[in-house]
Amino acid sequence: MGLLAGAMALLGAAGLPAPAQAAEAAAKPKVLQMPMRTDGPKSLDPAAGSTQYDNIAVAQIFETLLTFNYAKPGELEPLLLEKMPEITDNPDGTRTITFLLKEGVRFHDSPAFKDGKGRVLTSDDVFYSIKRLADKKNQLKNWWLLEGVIKGLDEYKDAQNKAADAGGKFDYDAPVSGFVKKSDREFQIILNKPVHRFLYTLTQFQTSIVPREAVEHFGDRFMFNPVGTGPFVLEKWEPKQYLYLNRNPAYHEVKYPARDQWSAADRRLRLDRPAGQKVPFVDRMEFQMFVQDQPMWLEFDTGKLGYIEVPNEYFEQAFDKRTKQLLPKWAERGVRGHSDQLLDFIFSGFNMADPVLGAMTAEGRALRQAIHLAVDLDEINEAYYNGLNTVFDGMIPPNVEGHPEGGKGPVSFRGPDLDRAKKLLAQAGWPDGKNAKGEQLVIEYYTANNAVNVQQAEMMKRQIERLGVKFEVRPNDFSTLIQFVNEKKAPMFGFAWGSDYPDGENNLALFYGPNESPGSNHYNYKNPAYDKLYEQILKMAPSPERTKIYEQMRDMVINDTPYIGSMGRTRFYLMAPWIMNCRPTERMFTWYKYLDVDDSKR
Amino acid sequence: MLSFIVRKLLYSVPVYLGIILVVMVCLRVNDPVQAFLGKKATKETVATMKEQMGLNRSFAEQYVSFVARVVTLDFSDQSWEQKRPVGEILYSAIWPSLSIALPALALTTLLAVCVALFAAYYRGSLTDRVLMFAAVVGMSISLLVYVVLGQYFGAYWPKQNLGVEPFAISGYESGVTNWAYYCLLPVIITVLLALGYDTRFYRAVMVEECNRDYIVTAKAKGASKPKIMFVHMLKNAMIPIITNVMITLPFLVTGSIVIETFFRIPGMGQTLITALNSKDFPLIQTFTAVFAAIFIISNILTDVLYALVDPRVRLS
Repeated sequence: MGLLAGAMALLGAAGLPAPAQAAEAAAKPKVLQMPMRTDGPKSLDPAAGSTQYDNIAVAQIFETLLTFNYAKPGELEPLLLEKMPEITDNPDGTRTITFLLKEGVRFHDSPAFKDGKGRVLTSDDVFYSIKRLADKKNQLKNWWLLEGVIKGLDEYKDAQNKAADAGGKFDYDAPVSGFVKKSDREFQIILNKPVHRFLYTLTQFQTSIVPREAVEHFGDRFMFNPVGTGPFVLEKWEPKQYLYLNRNPAYHEVKYPARDQWSAADRRLRLDRPAGQKVPFVDRMEFQMFVQDQPMWLEFDTGKLGYIEVPNEYFEQAFDKRTKQLLPKWAERGVRGHSDQLLDFIFSGFNMADPVLGAMTAEGRALRQAIHLAVDLDEINEAYYNGLNTVFDGMIPPNVEGHPEGGKGPVSFRGPDLDRAKKLLAQAGWPDGKNAKGEQLVIEYYTANNAVNVQQAEMMKRQIERLGVKFEVRPNDFSTLIQFVNEKKAPMFGFAWGSDYPDGENNLALFYGPNESPGSNHYNYKNPAYDKLYEQILKMAPSPERTKIYEQMRDMVINDTPYIGSMGRTRFYLMAPWIMNCRPTERMFTWYKYLDVDDSKR
Repeated sequence: MLSFIVRKLLYSVPVYLGIILVVMVCLRVNDPVQAFLGKKATKETVATMKEQMGLNRSFAEQYVSFVARVVTLDFSDQSWEQKRPVGEILYSAIWPSLSIALPALALTTLLAVCVALFAAYYRGSLTDRVLMFAAVVGMSISLLVYVVLGQYFGAYWPKQNLGVEPFAISGYESGVTNWAYYCLLPVIITVLLALGYDTRFYRAVMVEECNRDYIVTAKAKGASKPKIMFVHMLKNAMIPIITNVMITLPFLVTGSIVIETFFRIPGMGQTLITALNSKDFPLIQTFTAVFAAIFIISNILTDVLYALVDPRVRLS
């Protein structure tokens, strides 16, 4: 009976006319399974988020005013706006930016709204969402993005938090002089001074637009009940386990990048295939969290995940170490490989407030340059990163304006060059690591106490001690390391910086005098000429002139050598045969909506 | 019996209060708010959070308030990281952990006792030597090796080569029907690892019992081997077995960090390690208090069980 039923079922399936099969396939929901390395987001509230994984999750549910173009990831484009904002520099030194919201963008349906139906996005929602970042209740975690930028916002923050502290309430209806509402769709934001990076700030997920009703309705539980305008709606989030999202049926019209926006190489990869079509394509996205790499790797290999970031220890199982090409065994299965250069700046910093190491004199410079010349970054790269990192001069990562061509700058102290290093060390007054009084030069190097960091520091020790200098490694847990650096107590330290946006200004800010510790200028580098140039570039829009100043500033810093560097990581990805339109990047996370699946290839 | 339990509970009260005191002091050596908020936190933010969490009160006030909450089983403190009540987090994490730890403990104890009885009865024979050699090998291999090989050969290989999926590579879903698919492989791995230790320990206990006069008498009277082993020997060896099982019991709630992270089981091990990493102070503090309570209760329970299995033990 069973056999008969099975045979009949088979016959039935085989007998289905082609259009019926196609209809069946079309009716089947398209489900995309994706991994998240680590235990995933900590919060789905944009104001509370800070990690990359918060960003990935939030970017599917909420939206920002601006985003980066999927086809050209360095290029800004409107997301919740009708067009790019208009910028006017005012005679009083302020800058007015005029925005026009896209028509008919609606929030997800939610019980927070009167009839449960998502309402239309308005200018007030934008002001409210930005004001939330100033509210102490949200721990001011992301206030640094806006501090000192918008006219009247700092004063508003202080006044409202003071009122809340005194037992009153944080009044979201109180005005901010820099917020000007023209209509429900049109508004202006006035900046205290021209700050070009503000547009990049508006791409950051923390500035995503949220509806006030939902925040007030759900209170502290808003992070579990997110209501945005994004392409996907939360179905279920089990922290550290999975995140299930369904397609937003009322998503506003966002189209896949047009054919002419894709490069010839991308077109060869058929990334332009659905050009101009409305997104999202999939009905459901399922993110699975993986703290360990082995299960993620095996799940991908069994075809259960759309793509994975290749963990370092699995690199040689996927790519040829020398050519960085995908191994044939994967290509034969239809798996595709992809690499993406991260906006990384991995370095070892000198504390310029240290009387010996940090002197801004010819001798001080020579000392730091000598130490820099003793370090072999290629050896470190080979030993600890499988040779996959990019070694470069300066602080500006590859593919960003101001990065030296080929990674080699006109001013460079990249080692190993022991002869030059020894000469410079002698010029600095420390021949063979000893001064005129015969005192030994001892450098204390603070680093995080994980195995890889300590091992790297030990390799640096061997390299630097060839000069006769004593190099002592001081491993610390990360919070202690930060504390030592913030309190200017660490003479040398190992750190990394990931750019918030693809503009060299973000990295150049790390050397701006007023940003000294506990700010982001951990080197406590102070150079008035540099600071003046930095203030100048803040007001400049991207242009060849601005790039020239970037290069000038980069070389200034290389010459003063407040750090040893640099290295940037490259991420390698594998994509399953059934995932389409996929080109993973970490520069933004709004690209998931462009993905599609072809279940026939599973 | 009841008076014994009450007396034991009363003795435990000062011990428990002392544990909570030590835990609270230790957790406050470094400022927990600063540690949680990290480098970007301003003094203002730290002060606000301290105020919100009641950490600006005197230590005595905090101590009394925390003890009162533990006594009344009020675990409504919000986790700093997850923004959910601590009680809710611990409750949701305990079941996945127990769904692995309990069957694993039961299975390990059952198998270890049987193997140990067998090995002890035939002590010195080839069978005994082979079993003990296997036990030593089993306990010498790292848990990580079991996990890596288990995932590969237990879940990945059958799927790739035979087209069947007896177990999930990783993941967890609650429900009896899902249990075998998601939990059985981790259970088998846990049993394999623990079996060696327990078998060796129980065998040593049984060997000692084998030399007792009552075993010789039982043999002389012609009792069957199974009866000697499972009735006489086992009953008399119960005290060390109970001790071993009861010592393990409180640790069931901590889960296994390695098993849970590799198999993506949202249990206590993962919850705790994340709480420690993210310096989630309320979660760590509450868990420690609950764990201490479970430990004390299981000690009392052990004494009660001794009396139940051995009439010579008098609780009065």
